Amino acid sequence: MNSLLNLIVNGLATGMLVFLLAAGLTLIFGLMSVLNFAHGGLFAWGAYGGVWLYGLTGSFAAALAGAVVIGMLLGWVMERVVIRPVYGNHVQQILVTLGAMLVLSELLKVVFTPNPLKAETPAWLSGSWDAGGVILIKYRLFIILVGALVYIGLTLLLRRTRIGLIVRAGVANPDMVQALGINIRLVFTLVFMFGAGLAAFGGALLAPYSGVVFSEMGMQFAILAFIVVVIGGMGSIQGSALASLLVGLSGALMAYYVPDLSLAANMLLMVLVLLVRPSGLFGAKGGGA
Amino acid sequence: MSRTPLQPRSEPAAPPKRARSVMGRLSALQGRSSRTHNVVVLLLFVLLAALPAVSDSRSLFILLTQVFILAVFAMSYDLLLGFTGIVSFGHAMFFGLGAYSTGLFLSRFEATLPMLLLSVIAGMALAAALSYLVGVLSLRLKSHFYAMLTLAFAGLLLVAAEKWRSLTKGSDGFTFAIPEPLKDRATLYLVCLCTLAAVYVALRRFTRSPLGSVLQAIRENEQRTESLGYRIVPYKIAASVVAGAAASISGSLYVLTLRFVNTTVFSMDMTLNALLMTIIGGVGTLYGAVIGAAVIEWAHQLLTDLAGVHPIFERWIIFFGLLYIVVVLVFPSGIAGTCASWLSSMRRRRQPEDPEEERP
Repeated sequence: MNSLLNLIVNGLATGMLVFLLAAGLTLIFGLMSVLNFAHGGLFAWGAYGGVWLYGLTGSFAAALAGAVVIGMLLGWVMERVVIRPVYGNHVQQILVTLGAMLVLSELLKVVFTPNPLKAETPAWLSGSWDAGGVILIKYRLFIILVGALVYIGLTLLLRRTRIGLIVRAGVANPDMVQALGINIRLVFTLVFMFGAGLAAFGGALLAPYSGVVFSEMGMQFAILAFIVVVIGGMGSIQGSALASLLVGLSGALMAYYVPDLSLAANMLLMVLVLLVRPSGLFGAKGGGA
Repeated sequence: MSRTPLQPRSEPAAPPKRARSVMGRLSALQGRSSRTHNVVVLLLFVLLAALPAVSDSRSLFILLTQVFILAVFAMSYDLLLGFTGIVSFGHAMFFGLGAYSTGLFLSRFEATLPMLLLSVIAGMALAAALSYLVGVLSLRLKSHFYAMLTLAFAGLLLVAAEKWRSLTKGSDGFTFAIPEPLKDRATLYLVCLCTLAAVYVALRRFTRSPLGSVLQAIRENEQRTESLGYRIVPYKIAASVVAGAAASISGSLYVLTLRFVNTTVFSMDMTLNALLMTIIGGVGTLYGAVIGAAVIEWAHQLLTDLAGVHPIFERWIIFFGLLYIVVVLVFPSGIAGTCASWLSSMRRRRQPEDPEEERP
């Protein structure tokens, strides 16, 4: 019982981290039809930035905020310099975002040395609670809480605010939004920065969870996030949230019971979705040729 | 108009009367440039084949052998990206299948030439089967799906190779003996050169076959090709199967020169090799991929040597990454395509009446 509950907590925590990555990915794709292969690089930058700032300031909140700022700045530069020139050309976009990924993850090694960095958990979040014989690790519960808050906040932002309305309209039909007199390019830039910030936030949250950060972790999490957006459907936040939890849970459970097949299980899930429902569980876009 | 596969394709259909004359000129030109091409390729082949007779520089052989092998890999990638317009981020999986196939056959059985041949064929069959599977799953969807799915599958194979230690010995890898005749560096060099030539000729034939023309039509305009009555998905799958099998050959040769195989053959870096070489060399030409392989390998060695001067050169991927972004954004046709269009514009300036504007 204890181990099962712990596995579920682990799975949910990983799922929430993947969700932070996938949410930005799916929003950017839904709105701009850009699949950002450099998203994992932004995630890794968030993780390194968070560790570095935590060591510098000693405040975890400042580290998280700083990581988001780093992510948003990188996102802004990326959108301006590499993505804007190739809007509308899918092949070029896919190629150029992968190039950005390459540069981002190599740049990490130049700035922070190629060796993995150790990440500390802040004192008030380390340790665990003993709830009636079940041991719950505080930091994992913290991640789940933060992830749930981000999901609620994101849903409210999209459903209840004017900017959310514009973004949702843009996902449905960017040209029409443009024709209605809204500067869609500005919305693109803002959403891209927002997605980059979310990814960096996820990276900064992951660092104390895994205890160590290294530049290749961006790609590892990005692969999970791609699996998530395929399963959940491109452009759908709900789909991403559900699929993230699914992927996180199946990953954690498989890693315990059949460790060698944990990635394979998620891949199988994706293959199944692609065969039966290529547009994903909640997807409106992305299916068809 | 020089067509480059990476640029948006929105040129209006030419009016029919002009179209026929353009087609006529084009085919005449194709005949002429094809002859020049054949002569240049043959000359290059003879020169390179004669190299062992004049030089026995070990480092030169090693470098060129590496270039030949990676050129095969890059050409197989070009078939996807340059000729069909499919982006794959997991090309290393086919390379790795060939590599492990050859490694396992030669280490488990007697290291003879027939066994080597058998291992290459087995690798090609495996790679073809896998690329068929990936293609069936994702090629009917938008191009992003193939890129994502190949990335994920290559990740899966990398993990599988690390975990299945009884077969692969994980990231430590294993060494194996190679057939006796290939132990001579010069012989191995010639084998790799001949393989490169054979694959080049075969792929060139393939891209100029009716099937190849349909692939290029798909690259240029998927909807239009479909509305002409072609079912595009089987064609795309065919391209991906051929590309997978060709990539597997290069993987087999690669481990043959190292006499060693470990999980790096499945790594993202291997896929990046193919991407960088194809993009920087020039897509959609095959010989562009060969140029790219030579340039990247040479530059790689240069930067590695420079690492002693300043540690930034150890991070040579950064330079390639930046160069890659610039090429994708500014010179989407790469070295080969950019040089070709410079040449033709120079020639046009010299002879304004010459109908050279239509480069094949």
